[in-house]
Amino acid sequence: MSNAANDSLTGNALRPHAATAWGRLAARMQATPRLSGFVLVAALLCLWEASARLGWVNSQNWPPVSLVLVAVAQGIASGELASLLLSTLRRMASGYVLGCGIGVALGLLLGTNRWLRYVLKPIIEVIRPIPAPAIVPPLILFLGVDDALKIFVVSLACFFPAFLNTLAGVETIDDVLLQTARTFRVGARRTLFQVVFPATLPMIAAGLRVATGIALVVTVISEMIAGSSGIGYYIIQMQYAMKPEAMYAAVLLLAVTGYLVNRVFLVVEQRFIPWLGK
Amino acid sequence: MNSQRRTWIKRGLAALGAAAFATALALPQQTMAADLQKVRVSIIPINDVTPLFAAMKQGYFAEEGLEIDTTPSAGGATGIPGLIAGSFDIVYGNVVSMLLAAQQGIDIRVAAPGTKIDTPEFDMSAMVVRADSGIKTGRDLEGKSVGVNTRNNVIWLYARAWIKATGGDPDRVTYREVPHPQMEDALRQKQVDAGYMVIPYVAIATQKPEFQAIAHPYSKVQLGVDVGQYLTTAKFLSDKPETVTKFVRALRRGIEWYNANRGTDDLLKIVSGFTRLDVEVLRKVKMSPAPLKVDPPQIETTMKLMIEHRLLRGPIDVKPLIAAQAL
Repeated sequence: MSNAANDSLTGNALRPHAATAWGRLAARMQATPRLSGFVLVAALLCLWEASARLGWVNSQNWPPVSLVLVAVAQGIASGELASLLLSTLRRMASGYVLGCGIGVALGLLLGTNRWLRYVLKPIIEVIRPIPAPAIVPPLILFLGVDDALKIFVVSLACFFPAFLNTLAGVETIDDVLLQTARTFRVGARRTLFQVVFPATLPMIAAGLRVATGIALVVTVISEMIAGSSGIGYYIIQMQYAMKPEAMYAAVLLLAVTGYLVNRVFLVVEQRFIPWLGK
Repeated sequence: MNSQRRTWIKRGLAALGAAAFATALALPQQTMAADLQKVRVSIIPINDVTPLFAAMKQGYFAEEGLEIDTTPSAGGATGIPGLIAGSFDIVYGNVVSMLLAAQQGIDIRVAAPGTKIDTPEFDMSAMVVRADSGIKTGRDLEGKSVGVNTRNNVIWLYARAWIKATGGDPDRVTYREVPHPQMEDALRQKQVDAGYMVIPYVAIATQKPEFQAIAHPYSKVQLGVDVGQYLTTAKFLSDKPETVTKFVRALRRGIEWYNANRGTDDLLKIVSGFTRLDVEVLRKVKMSPAPLKVDPPQIETTMKLMIEHRLLRGPIDVKPLIAAQAL
């Protein structure tokens, strides 16, 4: 049905009498739905440019997007933005791997061991609602203001989606799989690694993907609150140095990074978990 | 297919473990200074700490055998917690934060002088209003709102004290937290009726006809106020008294250099280097002379003001908090 509609629209666009510029654009957007997303982004950026150039927003903290793009180019050319971004990504990756590793491991353990679940689940559920940025200031007392603090906060934030998804995956595993393993007298450890883990992987992957987004946000926030490194600190520094173009350049770079990290994750996911069924 | 899948899973788990291990190894790396003794100093990237950077640039610290490792904290919020955690040896902080820490039982000590406002001429920080607002005094602000960077801190305290000194009831004014760089926008968009602005933002805003500085609360309330100091812990002071002595000696030379070179291009370049502010912006700022000594009676006056505005529960004996080196 939708295919037919698409076909007829593309057909329309090819006809000379419908060949106005807007008509063509609309038709192409129908034909390639992904394009419409980019058109919306471009339209919003144009609105940004206009709002700053035409004085709709009267503030010295609201530069036109064209100047922000210039700042992006300058930041990349000087190498400053790239090195800041790399240091942020390094912290993010460390915290992510730690948090997700522990989250998945505990999720598998608690999912397969009722006793552990009774002991550990309550404390995990109590810690879970605490927003990661809220615990940064008290944590400074124990971990200082450098990487240890940020990596800990990021790993804590990543732990929960990884853990909860893994646990849910184990709990909803198809009973036939477990019964089959039991029928063939497969040992507990082999069952865990060769039955439970692969069957839970799609759920784990979903948890890990949620964690990637959280990891980037929490890394940047922790850099904003404590210490003086990474792109989070740079954003604050530029805000205080009255250089909003440089500040928004870093923000734009973060948006692009977040988008790319997600795309990379999807590619990796399809490569390593082909039975995800997409 | 099945064995291939198993291999991938094993490889994945191995990679996960290896990465976690590598992270754990990479976490705390202590760097050893070759011959200079490293002193870790937390700073706020504002003009107040220029003498420190001047002393670094002129090599005064190196001559004392010290290497200064500065860590900026844009908001200044992480300085004292980082000092207690051992991330820093010395932090630049304001007098109110220092007294609040002392009240909380933290063994904090004033190690060296920082900023002092001795003449009204150099008190640039100001209570700024919209020029058409008609607000002139604290009394006019009753029922209105004032923007301060942080509640319950030094700016908030002197905003309240000024409101009281000019006939207003500070409890009948709403205080809104607005970061320094956004104060001008908050005023313009009428989110606040007045804003207590500091340099360099106050210099930029008050050049525009739409804004007007109506008062300079620091110099109006307490001329001579000892606004900021370099702080350390009692433990660091007793463990390494000679380090503190060397630090203060080099810093004093930096202060003298700063006082002799205020407004010169050399100095503006130093300020621009650690604040990232453009030199043209800094030219609009009047740089106040820095003090060579901490002024205990002024800290006592601030303490009394804090009690009056319920920031402190009771008096604190100020004298023992100040290291001999700072006097």
